[in-house]
Amino acid sequence: MKKTNTNAFVSQMLVYSLLLIGLAGAGGMTAVWQRQAIAATAGRIKQLEQQAAETDRRQAGVTAAVAAEQTLDALNRRNQHWMLGLAQVRENQIVRVDGQPERRLAAKRNAEILAGRAAPPPALDRNTSRPAAPPAPPQARYALGGAR
Amino acid sequence: MASRGFASTYRVALLAGAMLLCFAGVGVKLVRLHIIDRDLYLAAVEKSRQQSTTMHARRGDILDARGDILATSRSMIELGVDPQTLRPEDEPKWPELARLLGLPVNQLRRVFQTRTRAPAAGAAGREIRWAKLRDEIPESLYEEVNKLGIRGVYGQRVYRRVYPHSQLAAHIVGFVNKEGVAASGVEAYLDNYLMGYDGWRESEKDGLRRELAQFRSRDVPPKDGWSVVLSLDTAVQNWAEEELAAIAREFQPRHATLIVSDAPSGFLLAMANHPTFNLNEFNKAPMELLKNNAIASQLDPGSTFKIVAASGALNERLVAPDTRFDCSADLATHNGRSLRLMRDDHASDHPLTVAEIISRSSNRGATLLAMRLGDQRFYDYARAFGFGGRTGFPFGGEISGLLNPPAKWSGIDITRIPAGYSISATPLQIHCAMAAIASGGELLRPQIVREIRDASGAVVFHYGRESIRRVLSPAVAGQMAFMLQGVASRGGTAAVAEIPGYQVAGKTGTAQKIIDGRYSNKNHVGSFTGFLPAGNPRVVITIIVDDGRAPAGGAGYGSKVAAPGFRRLAEKLIPYLDIKPVAVAGAWQALAAHGDPRP
Repeated sequence: MKKTNTNAFVSQMLVYSLLLIGLAGAGGMTAVWQRQAIAATAGRIKQLEQQAAETDRRQAGVTAAVAAEQTLDALNRRNQHWMLGLAQVRENQIVRVDGQPERRLAAKRNAEILAGRAAPPPALDRNTSRPAAPPAPPQARYALGGAR
Repeated sequence: MASRGFASTYRVALLAGAMLLCFAGVGVKLVRLHIIDRDLYLAAVEKSRQQSTTMHARRGDILDARGDILATSRSMIELGVDPQTLRPEDEPKWPELARLLGLPVNQLRRVFQTRTRAPAAGAAGREIRWAKLRDEIPESLYEEVNKLGIRGVYGQRVYRRVYPHSQLAAHIVGFVNKEGVAASGVEAYLDNYLMGYDGWRESEKDGLRRELAQFRSRDVPPKDGWSVVLSLDTAVQNWAEEELAAIAREFQPRHATLIVSDAPSGFLLAMANHPTFNLNEFNKAPMELLKNNAIASQLDPGSTFKIVAASGALNERLVAPDTRFDCSADLATHNGRSLRLMRDDHASDHPLTVAEIISRSSNRGATLLAMRLGDQRFYDYARAFGFGGRTGFPFGGEISGLLNPPAKWSGIDITRIPAGYSISATPLQIHCAMAAIASGGELLRPQIVREIRDASGAVVFHYGRESIRRVLSPAVAGQMAFMLQGVASRGGTAAVAEIPGYQVAGKTGTAQKIIDGRYSNKNHVGSFTGFLPAGNPRVVITIIVDDGRAPAGGAGYGSKVAAPGFRRLAEKLIPYLDIKPVAVAGAWQALAAHGDPRP
């Protein structure tokens, strides 16, 4: 009976020892896996940071290049090179409207409807921005060159 | 008893003893390594594994009022070589590298083959671990260099400042030098906002010097710099510089300055100097070109200063616009003394009104106005207009000019100062004085910075209109504005500045320069300062031409060298800034007839 107890104890010890070794191994493996995962994640983060920095660098380069292409000198060169003929607006090309634009557009539209064709907007005095003179009715609707 | 041969007890004991000794030796060594010398070796290991990396912040941009970039930073590569790690098998690639870098092969070879620095006396030569090949190369070129695969050739990334507009607003924007130190202009003034803060990181590295990211112990990310938005407009600045270039071609002045500001707020739209320099090549510019003459040089303001006496006398209600003065007399009595007056360029056949004194730029008339005002009050008005003190322009080494108090005046100063002599002012002071009339009588601080934005673009600071003091009542400012229209009208000294349909108010100035201690008849400072429209001022423009010479050998009067430029620039600004004409038909005639401040 005594011998049987001893054997059982030894067996239990062996089982627990094996279990302990297994658990310790599993814990060790987990720790190793964790460290490996941490290293991999840290490496991935580092890569992403490098990519972000690279993107920032490229963006800065593109921003500088775009700014250089948008300088007035560069735009003037392009204008000449491509023969676009773009020029600054001059004051004498501007008709200033200080009244309500809706009424002016409506008047223009009405004039078009009544004349049956496009009519020029009333001329404005450049200093007062008011009609210089009441628009004259069309003299001849079908005259060559249009109504004057 | 049978013999046990080699495995005798004695031999086994000897072997066991030897093994024990070996283990004991290992133990002793382990004790020495891990206990006795532990700290020493641990420190060495940590020192070699630890690494601290600086992460550079990107400097903020400088933008104009429309968002155009005036200064920005871009990543560049400083390319170098470690001659100790070069491999012989890479030598055939050297010519290709030299071609990519634009260097002579022999020069490249010399750099590669110089492995030690010249030794100091009695010392051994030091190994070269880094020799610079090119200062700044772009990323794209660096990629091509890397493709060659030459071991030992590598680059260091740095942010370098670039100025896309080159010379535009050079004195305002300023520059950052090769050491990364902001040296002038907005770059230096707002360096704290622009520079950002570098980050740093502590971690460990492996045997190949690669960072082991999992061992990062401290990680402080960089903070990029904030951006600065100026009130300058690149289009206006460009036209101002074009105008100065045209003036320089025609009149060949020593210096010329042009300032444009927004009349209601005092913010500067342009500030240009001739000659100027290219910000991307600041190291090639002579030192004298780096000086912002608009604020750091002084000159006699000449007749532009006459607005002080006239405004002061009107503001004190000592005169009205139609009050007449006899400007034909050579002498005037002041404080019981008879003083000889300066000559007028144009003789007057009748007593001049205050308005005519301004429009005809009468030296004598200005003197008589100042005399009526009195020394101290005249001085006080000059100070109130900003003369003799800094305007508050925040950077560039502004000087205060020269305006002595009456106690230090000589006997004839009261006949000279009202005409703009015996006084010195900076171009910006002259501009601000005229701007005070344009703003309705308030002296405004000339400002250049509109906003400061953080790295995400959010506005952190916003700057607004800042009034220094009220100089004139709004009514007197209006009277002055309408009287100054007479200058840029037929019969005025600057009829050439007239713009049909617009009311231009302004004042010419021509001051003789002192050459060899005497006023020269050939060397002048010609100027024109004015604003438009007079009835509702939008922009103030000042042009100062120092020692300009008319093509036919004539003197550089303000009406010749500066007023035409004012008109040309104003004609460009009218449609660009959408400046509308103000309907004040006959206002000038009404003023001349009745002396009313406004119709």
